[in-house]
Amino acid sequence: MKRAVMFCSMVLCASGCDRPSASPAVQHVALAGELSTQSAFDTNCRGCHSQGAEGAALPLVNANYWKVATDATIIQAISHGQGRSMPAYLASEGGPFTAEQITSLVHGMRTLWGDGQPGGGGGISPVLTAGSASAGALVFSTACASCHAGQGTAGSVVDPMYLRMISDQGLWSAVVYGRSELGMPAWNQAMPGRPTGLSAQEVCDVVSWISSQRVSNEKVTK
Amino acid sequence: MSFLTSALLSSSKATMQWIEERTGVVAFAKPLLFHHVPRNAKWWYVFGSATLMFFTIQLVTGVCLATVYAPSAAQAWESLNYIDKEVPMGWMLRALHGWSSNAMVVMMAIHMLQVFLHASYKYPRELNWITGVFLLLTTLALAFTGQVMRWDQDAYWGLGIGAAIADRIPLVGDQVRALLLGGPIIGGETLNRFFALHVFILPGAALGLVGLHMMLIIKNGISEMPKPGAIVVPSTYREGFEERMKTEGVPFVPEAVQRDMVFCGVCLIALVALAAFYGPFGPGGMPDPTLINTNPRPDYPFMWLFGAVSLLPPASETAIMLIAPGVGVLVLIAVPFLSNSGERAPSKRPAMVLVALVTVMAIAALTWEGMTSPWSPVMDGWSALPTPAKFTHGRTPLEMQGAVVFQFAQCRNCHSLDGLGGKRGPELDDVASRLSYDQLVRQVQQGGGNMPAYGKNLDSAQTAAVVAFLATLHPSNEPDAKIPGAQLPPPPGSANAH
Amino acid sequence: MSEQEKQQEKGSCGCGGCGCEQKAKAAATAGVTPAPRRGFMLKLGVGLLGIGGAITALPIVGYLIGPATKRYSNLWVELGELSIFPHGATRFATFLNPIRQPTDGDSAKTACWVRCIDATHFQVFAINCAHLGCPVRWFEQSKLFMCPCHGGVYYQDGTRAAGPPPRGLFEYVWKIEGGKLLIDAGRLPGLEEST
Repeated sequence: MKRAVMFCSMVLCASGCDRPSASPAVQHVALAGELSTQSAFDTNCRGCHSQGAEGAALPLVNANYWKVATDATIIQAISHGQGRSMPAYLASEGGPFTAEQITSLVHGMRTLWGDGQPGGGGGISPVLTAGSASAGALVFSTACASCHAGQGTAGSVVDPMYLRMISDQGLWSAVVYGRSELGMPAWNQAMPGRPTGLSAQEVCDVVSWISSQRVSNEKVTK
Repeated sequence: MSFLTSALLSSSKATMQWIEERTGVVAFAKPLLFHHVPRNAKWWYVFGSATLMFFTIQLVTGVCLATVYAPSAAQAWESLNYIDKEVPMGWMLRALHGWSSNAMVVMMAIHMLQVFLHASYKYPRELNWITGVFLLLTTLALAFTGQVMRWDQDAYWGLGIGAAIADRIPLVGDQVRALLLGGPIIGGETLNRFFALHVFILPGAALGLVGLHMMLIIKNGISEMPKPGAIVVPSTYREGFEERMKTEGVPFVPEAVQRDMVFCGVCLIALVALAAFYGPFGPGGMPDPTLINTNPRPDYPFMWLFGAVSLLPPASETAIMLIAPGVGVLVLIAVPFLSNSGERAPSKRPAMVLVALVTVMAIAALTWEGMTSPWSPVMDGWSALPTPAKFTHGRTPLEMQGAVVFQFAQCRNCHSLDGLGGKRGPELDDVASRLSYDQLVRQVQQGGGNMPAYGKNLDSAQTAAVVAFLATLHPSNEPDAKIPGAQLPPPPGSANAH
Repeated sequence: MSEQEKQQEKGSCGCGGCGCEQKAKAAATAGVTPAPRRGFMLKLGVGLLGIGGAITALPIVGYLIGPATKRYSNLWVELGELSIFPHGATRFATFLNPIRQPTDGDSAKTACWVRCIDATHFQVFAINCAHLGCPVRWFEQSKLFMCPCHGGVYYQDGTRAAGPPPRGLFEYVWKIEGGKLLIDAGRLPGLEEST
């Protein structure tokens, strides 16, 4: 019994008068003002943009992504959403974040997962520019068709339903960043038979050709 | 020196006599302390004392907290944070008050269960039981009003639940709600009403009831351990009991009280340990009703009710919510009147043992349900829980887009993949071995079985994509689900699945 | 001491030195029989105490039930310019409750969901789930409101989609004035509006 009492008084002394746990007030400030990048990512982005083979959309824990994409393009995508499957996160568009919070989140993620460079590298322009569908057809047949033709082993990228789901910018991202863990290479990088991957123009050409396969030429805006 | 001592002694004795002659306090206390209790009343009988001890802790810590706590909706939450962080030992006082409150409810429940199992409520102790029932109600009311004192988001929305239930009362629902809240909204007057209840009315009522309860204990004595065959016959019970106490009983002090003291001591040490290790309860998020990213949950003593109201059928839930509590209290009060004589031994009252067992298990199960609340959507499941890697490998571009839609359209909030996600709807790891492609399309578009219809909320491409993804969800050694006998054309977009 | 005297003693003892004594004595000397006299005093006592008690209780009861007797309506508050509610979208809006009390603090803030159907048609939903009042959240992507407590789900027009709620979301009465959206606020919407 004495020992129990002593034990408890030791506990009391150890925990002291200031309770160590984070107070709700502190937690609240974190919600309203500055965001912890990791926790903001974990609750708002991780569901789709996880890492490795996890997650359905492009992983953000991905150095290649941070090498190519610039802050401006990422902030644009987070703020206003993209295609049919990336929601807008800006408060004025119904999302949870202010513009400042989105900017700070992007900077925070770049610090966590980037290589210290501001983006715009990786030997490729970070945005989709005009391409030639006919040139793209050739690129597709040589670089993509072996897996992604109508009956290809990795599934068709000209499936009309798929093309209705994805924007041209989304197609561009899929080509450039790939999903290497799932067997889709990142085409801005060297690969067997193509020491420089695809050039910026070739990517835009092939996107242009895939986009031309849309039924009734329906474009996904944004 | 020795002269001084003896003078002091004799003068203090004289003082005692002087006081005794004018108050009769010794004459009053003697039977309380030295009344005879059954010799075999051993460890079973310590729970009532422990309940009383925790109540005393509540009174002391409560008064202490009231010296700093600001009973004002504008400041209550901040004053609690101030107590936690600035006031020396403030956090510990709050922790003691919170843990002791839970301990009091638990001890009271055990005490009540023991009394029920031993049928101690039978003649002549019917009113002991009934005052006990009112003490239980008062204690639960104290626990609920105490949760309101915390004035955080749980308190705010807990009151909202109370208000919503009051609102369902026919005809006078509005008035009852206004009475409860002190106005049409939850605000300043609401907190102060509950403060008055929590620190004046309910503790006062509890003190009165405790006094009554104790008076009845002295009057009727502590019941003996039940023995099969020792039948309670109201006409002869009291005489026999008093006779047995005279011959076989032992004085409460010190024979019974020593066990109470040991148990209460252990309880106190456990209480301080819990309070020191786990700290105070809350306060949670600040009580700003515009911060709606909150998952309101009640305190432990009400978790089973929270669970119960989610399981009520919508058609009858209003009636059940309004009538069931009253019926429950009436049943508790009626217990000693249903049978106040006869056997007391649990072995001779198997039905009552079963009732107690079922009640305990039901409350435990509902508490568990309430804590895990599988009926609640995981509100950030869609944006926080990634698609497990095993469901992204070898999928076509369309199926991958479907996996994105599955997250995007918040399916994950109610449906789990690989154990992660909402439990409100069925887990979908192998949904394709249960539903065919067409059935999946129909389920997504039309909903049903407590699922919303997504027909208007997803366009045809999103539907096609998500169904293409769902159609891949089955163990590789199991075929796709098929309607028996039906010849279905191969679904579009799934030609390359698996 | 005669029986009568005893009675008299008792009667006067009851009211101490409050002057009733004289009255009682006066009554006794006036030759009224003792039993009715005591009965009268008792009745007088019960009556006066009853009246006194009632008039004391009246303000107390009135004070306590006051909140239930007040009626509020036509308390219009602004939710903001129409431009912050885009067509086809559902947006979160907050306002300060018009019947707040001085000590309300943050609890006077109230939240609601505003659905803009088109420039002249709105729906303003109470934040409270119709089941037990928890705050529902809007999910733009699936166009559903979900409740974190017991899993009530509503479509974008507020009708019940799934879960335990017995009905759709409660709605505020709204109007447009000077390019601004206003609602009749002042209480937690409840069954009163269910008509």
